[in-house]
Amino acid sequence: MIKAFLLTSILLGWNYIFAQDAQVLLRQVVDKIELVKDYSANVQITADIPLIKILPSKAKIYFKGPDKFKVVSKGIAILPKQGFTDMNLFLSKPDDYMVVFAGKKMIESVETTLLTVIANESDAEIILVKLWVDASRRLIMASEITTRSSGNVKIDYKYANNKSFDLPSRIKFTVDVKEFKMPKSFSTNPHKTNKSKVNKRKTGTIELLISNYKVNQGIANSFFVK
Amino acid sequence: MLLKNTWNELVKILAKPRSYIGFGALTLLIGIILLAMKADGKSFISFVTASFEQTLSFNGEILNGNLMAFVILQMLIIHVPLLVALVTGDLVSGEAAMGTLRMMATKPISRSAILGSKLLAGAIYTFLLTLWMAFMAYGVGQWMFGVGDLIVLNSDGLVVLPADDIMWRYFYGFGLAFLSLLAVATMSICFSVFSDNSIGPIVSTMAVIILFTIIGSLDVASFVSIQPFLLTTHMASWRSLFEMPVPVDDILSSIYILLFHIIAFAGIAFWRFNKKDINT
Amino acid sequence: MSSNVVSVKNLKKSFKGFEAVKDVSFTVQKNDVFGFLGPNGAGKSTSLRCMLSLIQADAGQIKLFDQDLQRNRSNVLSKIGSIIEKPDFYKYLSAFKNLELLARISGSSVSKSELYDILEFVGLQGREKHKFRTFSHGMKQRLGIAQALMHNPELIILDEPTTGLDPQGIVDIRNLILKLSKEQGKTVILSSHQLAEIELIANRMVIINKGKTIIEGSVNELLNSSNMVVKFQLDDTGRGEKLLAKDFGDIRKLNFSEDELTFEIEKMRIADVVECFVKNNLRIYSVEQKRKLEDYFIKMIEE
Repeated sequence: MIKAFLLTSILLGWNYIFAQDAQVLLRQVVDKIELVKDYSANVQITADIPLIKILPSKAKIYFKGPDKFKVVSKGIAILPKQGFTDMNLFLSKPDDYMVVFAGKKMIESVETTLLTVIANESDAEIILVKLWVDASRRLIMASEITTRSSGNVKIDYKYANNKSFDLPSRIKFTVDVKEFKMPKSFSTNPHKTNKSKVNKRKTGTIELLISNYKVNQGIANSFFVK
Repeated sequence: MLLKNTWNELVKILAKPRSYIGFGALTLLIGIILLAMKADGKSFISFVTASFEQTLSFNGEILNGNLMAFVILQMLIIHVPLLVALVTGDLVSGEAAMGTLRMMATKPISRSAILGSKLLAGAIYTFLLTLWMAFMAYGVGQWMFGVGDLIVLNSDGLVVLPADDIMWRYFYGFGLAFLSLLAVATMSICFSVFSDNSIGPIVSTMAVIILFTIIGSLDVASFVSIQPFLLTTHMASWRSLFEMPVPVDDILSSIYILLFHIIAFAGIAFWRFNKKDINT
Repeated sequence: MSSNVVSVKNLKKSFKGFEAVKDVSFTVQKNDVFGFLGPNGAGKSTSLRCMLSLIQADAGQIKLFDQDLQRNRSNVLSKIGSIIEKPDFYKYLSAFKNLELLARISGSSVSKSELYDILEFVGLQGREKHKFRTFSHGMKQRLGIAQALMHNPELIILDEPTTGLDPQGIVDIRNLILKLSKEQGKTVILSSHQLAEIELIANRMVIINKGKTIIEGSVNELLNSSNMVVKFQLDDTGRGEKLLAKDFGDIRKLNFSEDELTFEIEKMRIADVVECFVKNNLRIYSVEQKRKLEDYFIKMIEE
């Protein structure tokens, strides 16, 4: 009896300590992210989405915390709807979620800690966020966002060395695309069948190569107004 | 004599008020489309990208001159054949009805030269009409909406073509559109040879186009085997130029089929016109 | 080389089983003003259309200027000017423009000044720039003649050229045809129902009926070899009739009434009839020779 009580206490205590550690780690990550008030950068976008054919395109992205984002491109740029500002906004409100340790994983020879962030509200758009964090550098190496309307988005980050704000030089989004379907009536090629095209692949990727960051330049709010 | 009479035919075409209906109609239609898109083009874009918008966001100037030209070409390529047939369908039968074919046929010009000059003049008229459509759709569209990448909805999905890789597609695209319309013009002239009244060949041409369009869109087993050979199936072949990569073999195959139609209709017309008794 | 400008032999043409032309043959010599006669539906128009390669004959031979029509079509047609049925032009073009278009394909170069001249010649000066649709019937006919003559052809084929013309116009056309033949050495084929006109200006003619040639030859010979039709108006036609029955029993009575005695008789015996009436104290109010060609024509048709 006493043994069971002791074991339970140790486990609960251990969990509490771990939960506290997870929250601390996440807080450290978020604090680092929030050092960047705004930034602009050049980006090359390469999309590999089923039912979409697009060549790599160039654009300029602008961000102002917590949730302002703008893409300026000469041509057409396709970006994922989720994964830019929504995750940051979600993580900036610690009262809206709880976070727990969920294990460790090696990502590109870096040991990362998996933090599972669960929304408190049952009707929140972001239901769950998984973060693989490099604890030593307080950097998110990968994340997975589960949303109510858009399914899952997985994001992989790469960082160039010697960057003071540790902003990613490469972000790769993997999005759910199982709902994409082309209408039959749009068959236009006389040499192909008239059957509707059903997407067989379940995911697509959008890779961003980001360079030439200009951080905390003081971008005005009016810039983001459409 | 062929070239002299071709000049005569062009003089006649340009003197007829109905020849300007096509140009007027195109100007009006394209003008309306451009103004409508200027006013509410965004809802059209939403339709194009609707399938993807839950997961993806499309950034950049989607509503641009290149998209306008594509939309216009797609909308009008079914209707422009009527505007062509209105003039070319009348080239032989109209003269038979008027009695002027009799006057012409007593001159020292061969029947082949008479018909050849009408085919040539009909082709020039069709070319001018296509050129006008290109100017209005592409030229005026660029002027009103500017340049930009072109987003196209195909049966394969969405294709985004970079702005600097589009002009040559339109050049060949309008070329293919001209070839399609030339096939229609030749068909209407062929019908015109068999008739002594003005309206018959024009109505017959449109009836054939409508019928073939319907057959081409039905998923019926007995129609599927003939669909690849129908003229109307290949009238949309210009769209293949806006795929990535461009299916060159498919486009060449469409060109061959259109050329076959042109040669076949012209051949039938020559055969009939040379044997025809001019009784009117 | 023969002097035949036109040689048509055993021409045959059917339309959907109906034989419009069964066996038409005739020749036209250089400088002829040739009358081409026949009732409605005889096959005149069909024959002329065959000669101008508007329709293809089923059988027979057509030679123009000693050349086969089928094999030398362009060369042959460049020497012919014609109006077949009514002259039709482009309603939306002016008179001058219409002529210009046709001149361009007529096989010889016709200058603009020559076109103006020909319009003046046919009486359309001042109307050069008027649209064809504004022309009266007579003006359309004149324009038709203009297009037939503008390239100075050797053979002119006119199908009812005086239709719709006023009396002065008819006289003008008659004089024009005579001028073309006598002064310019042109050959004219004239198809007309105006038999008086044919009689006045044609030197040779052919009559066809039901698709066949009835008779062909010189107008004078054909008409002089036949009987004359005369009409007498007398003070006492009853007595006149009895005298004719007694002394001229072989005449062909055409119309014996209270007002007139019309009969057919040899030309040489008309004087005898006059002498007989005078000797018998009959007063002759008038002696009228009926239109010879008209009667000859009707007679040929009926036979």
